[in-house]
Amino acid sequence: MPVSWTLLIVLAMAAAGFAIGRSRVLAAAGGDSRRLHSRTSYYGWNIALFTAVPALFLIAIWLFAQPQANRWVLGAAALVLAAMGLFWTLGRTTPQFRARIAVEGFVRGLLIMCSMIAILTTAGIVFSMLFETGHFFRQYPWQEFFFGTTWSPRFGGGSQLGILPLLWGTLYISFIALAVSIPIGLFAAIYMSEYASPRLRGIAKPLIEVLAGIPTIVYGLFALVTVGPALRDYFAQPLGLGSSGSSVMTAGLVMGIMLIPFVSSLSDDIINAVPQSLRDGALGLGSTKSETVRNVVLPAALPGIVGAILLAASRAIGETMIVVLGAGAAARMDLNPFEAMTTITVKIVSQLTGDTDFAAPETLVAFALGLTLFVITLGLNVVALYVVRKYREQYE
Amino acid sequence: MTDATLSAAPAAAPKPRASLLIADERTRKRNAAESRFRAYGLSAIGIALIALVVLLSSVLTDGIGAFRQTYLTLPVALDSARLDKNGNRDPEDIKKATTLTYGKLLDQAVQNTVAQQGIAIAGLTEKDVSDLVSKEASAQLRNRVIANPELIGQTVDARVLVNGRVDGYYKGRVSMDSAARDSNTSPAQLQLADALKDKGLLATQWNWSFLTNPDASDQRPEAAGVGVAILGSLYMMLVVLVLAVPIGVAASIYLEEFAPKNRLTDIIEVNISNLAAVPSIVFGILGLAAFINFAGLPQSAPIVGGLVLTLMTLPTIIIATRAALKAVPPSIRDAALGVGASKMQSVFHHVLPLAMPGILTGTIIGLAQALGETAPLLLIGMVAFVKNFPAAPPEGLFDPASALPVQVYNWTQRADPAFFERASGAIIVLLVFLLCMNILAIFLRRKFERRW
Amino acid sequence: MNDMRLLERAVDQTDIKISARNVQVYYGDKHAIKDVDVDIQDKTVTAFIGPSGCGKSTFLRCLNRMNDTIDISRVEGKIMLDGEDIYDKRVDPVQLRARVGMVFQKPNPFPKSIYDNVAYGPRIHGLARNRAELDEIVEKSLRGAALWNEVKDRLAEPGTGLSGGQQQRLCIARAVATQPEVLLMDEPCSALDPIATSQVEDLIDQLRAEFSVVIVTHSMQQAARVSQKTAFFHLGNLVEFGDTDDIFTRPQDPRTESYISGRIG
Repeated sequence: MPVSWTLLIVLAMAAAGFAIGRSRVLAAAGGDSRRLHSRTSYYGWNIALFTAVPALFLIAIWLFAQPQANRWVLGAAALVLAAMGLFWTLGRTTPQFRARIAVEGFVRGLLIMCSMIAILTTAGIVFSMLFETGHFFRQYPWQEFFFGTTWSPRFGGGSQLGILPLLWGTLYISFIALAVSIPIGLFAAIYMSEYASPRLRGIAKPLIEVLAGIPTIVYGLFALVTVGPALRDYFAQPLGLGSSGSSVMTAGLVMGIMLIPFVSSLSDDIINAVPQSLRDGALGLGSTKSETVRNVVLPAALPGIVGAILLAASRAIGETMIVVLGAGAAARMDLNPFEAMTTITVKIVSQLTGDTDFAAPETLVAFALGLTLFVITLGLNVVALYVVRKYREQYE
Repeated sequence: MTDATLSAAPAAAPKPRASLLIADERTRKRNAAESRFRAYGLSAIGIALIALVVLLSSVLTDGIGAFRQTYLTLPVALDSARLDKNGNRDPEDIKKATTLTYGKLLDQAVQNTVAQQGIAIAGLTEKDVSDLVSKEASAQLRNRVIANPELIGQTVDARVLVNGRVDGYYKGRVSMDSAARDSNTSPAQLQLADALKDKGLLATQWNWSFLTNPDASDQRPEAAGVGVAILGSLYMMLVVLVLAVPIGVAASIYLEEFAPKNRLTDIIEVNISNLAAVPSIVFGILGLAAFINFAGLPQSAPIVGGLVLTLMTLPTIIIATRAALKAVPPSIRDAALGVGASKMQSVFHHVLPLAMPGILTGTIIGLAQALGETAPLLLIGMVAFVKNFPAAPPEGLFDPASALPVQVYNWTQRADPAFFERASGAIIVLLVFLLCMNILAIFLRRKFERRW
Repeated sequence: MNDMRLLERAVDQTDIKISARNVQVYYGDKHAIKDVDVDIQDKTVTAFIGPSGCGKSTFLRCLNRMNDTIDISRVEGKIMLDGEDIYDKRVDPVQLRARVGMVFQKPNPFPKSIYDNVAYGPRIHGLARNRAELDEIVEKSLRGAALWNEVKDRLAEPGTGLSGGQQQRLCIARAVATQPEVLLMDEPCSALDPIATSQVEDLIDQLRAEFSVVIVTHSMQQAARVSQKTAFFHLGNLVEFGDTDDIFTRPQDPRTESYISGRIG
């Protein structure tokens, strides 16, 4: 019996339960719906919900845990559960039964379950990575992972899996990205909130936000096809700094462009949260607008802006597609920004795509990398969200 | 007040009272600093806008070529002796003729055409002539014959793909100089193409099949299309829509309207705001570990991609929905409660309908974000080469498929530069979808915007 | 001939600090101030009173061109400070505001230390040649604002940590430190409790020795207590202007009388 049939039968039972419940309770009340505790449809819903929802849950969970399960066994179990729900609620359907309360309690339970999914997701992330990372550290010493300066996985044994070169590449690229995006984003936000005419703001703000809506794969291709070769031909080669199109500079620049709208819209919100009275105070003393911004608005907004920068840093560290296509794959600890280097995210992708053997440390290391990435970004996010929240409270 | 009475008012240092009409030295300097500061701000906006223009124009100019394709039109004799040996037009028999056979027919057809048109080019080898036609052309011809067996025995006018290099020649990617160094083409082959073009047999035309074809192998960039990728992306959006929207809205309703202020609610809130900032690749790892390794769902399946994207999109939808619910003034709730509605009735009958436009807008933005997401899909095997279209849902959700952004990544990893054009073309398709979704969101917001 | 007459008039009006003629203010389409003429005397407290929304604050903000910061506002007519039109194209509002300081309705100390709050104006206008001079200006200004004894031991603490009344006096000290000629006060006591209000009112009375003070207030008692001249605004019109005593005891216009007796609020 295919699953879709089971689903149809369960839904049909629920619909029938709805109709029977309504008419039965109305008949029991002598056709006068005012003698009922709740409106008639609540009696119907009570039956329909208790019939369908538990059976549907059973099917979903069973299929998830055991996709190859025997469809007949599954179908029979689901139908029995649905029938039990149907008869139990039918039995309770009397005019005195407080159906609205029952239905609302049920719905409330569903709402709570939905909001728990956030916790489940976080738990899923943490446990799936912890579990596999545990496997990894049983095969590979953690000291060498965290302090090793060489990254050279070899399928077949003898791999060196030190995270430091990856961390270096990640931080170097993020640094360049922030060095590009913070001044541009911040100045753009200042200009838009303090100087721009409504007309200019109306045009420039949405256009800058378009940058935020462009998928990262597009930035990645832009780095690979346009920025990388341009940097190589006009900067790296003439200056004798290297001959690679993929480089820290390529990925950093493009990621910087990607982060401009992120920094500017967050800063814009934060600058706008600075009360107008402070600006008036400074202007009333004869400050110019730029003095007002530099001496009063920015210091007042500083905690919020720091929070925004931390969030941007977390974005940069976790960004994948731009570095996969723009930074290169060579694990290297170098200062030359025109050299190809690699990042944690690039290596997660390369270790987990293609042929993977989930017993080998070369594959499992990706989970340890993922966990490290998760912990770093989580730390940045928690601090940033805390700082921003404190900042907002200050002016509320 | 004692200190005020003790001290005199500030004995103003004699300040020179200059005329207001003449700016003094210091004011001029400060105004110069002011102008510089403004210039910095304006140039920051300028840089951002220039970056946007360069980004979009580079993708558009690279990708527009994918929507045009060079075809050769030529008569092909469909020899019944070779295609249907028994002569009874039995579909099973016809299917026995392989693409190799069709390749030979096409080969013959090209050689004949060149001879008939009297084209003579120095250094033109037989290989140059037969390689003019794409390797995919024989398969396409075979499919056409299988669909219409009565064609066998006739001579039909076939419109066939030419190979990627010749196509690139008409798009400016290949030149005579580069062809001389290229083992896959030769200047003589390009001259032949030019000669056929002069005769009106070869033309670069609008290419619908880029949108409908599946991916093609490394040697056949001219045949590659985004059909499977579009379908895969649609399937995933379907899963996200069906799962993320009800769950997200339900969670928001609970948190915004019902949740008591307690420890559990705090934990949920913190979780949601953190999940919104977790790098997308981490969701890919979760999908790989939970859905594929643990639950045993198939790799490359849209259902897995959809589940991963659902988890990723949930925080966005929840945050947008809560903002929309928050914007509904409490007086509406009070009014409903005041006439004896239950809390649940006030929310579902009054608050939710009023918040609907905001929820829709947030949902569309979340879907757009999910549509462009690449990294997590790489980890759950969506990079695999998929040539067959998935079946119709719900079974098709478990079939292998690709996705638009992953197809882009896939093509950037190929050696032939013709695939870069395809990748940029796929991005144009992706951006058009995103544009439509955003326009819809803006339209909804404008249409239903309400000021309380 | 002409020059002589001008000179005569100048001598005649030495104690007029600001004179406004035919001032009109528009906010977009709204005509907020209608044809106002008024003379502000030097070393005098002038009060602007009137029901809320009557344009008294709007007019006050015209006197140091704070209205410039609102995009849609437009000012017509002439406002002369010491005989120079402050709306002349050549006038830099920054220079003007250094001479016409302002204290706002809500105390708005900068999120900086008490010292830096007071030193801000002198610093941007370059009034002190060195740290010692700056220290002197800060101390004098804080004394002038009757705040010195309360804060002298905690000058490095943030100004936002003071009580409301102290914050407002800090803002007055901040304005005084710039050494302006005119001090505009926009309902400076509306956010303060009665004790802080009386402190600030005493302070205003003392500031009169040094500056000409213009104060907007919604409290008639306050106007009567602190001002020598009073202007009554109603619906954007200047209804009556004269000595405070006259306005409160012998109002000429029936609208002024209604307001003073509490019939227009």
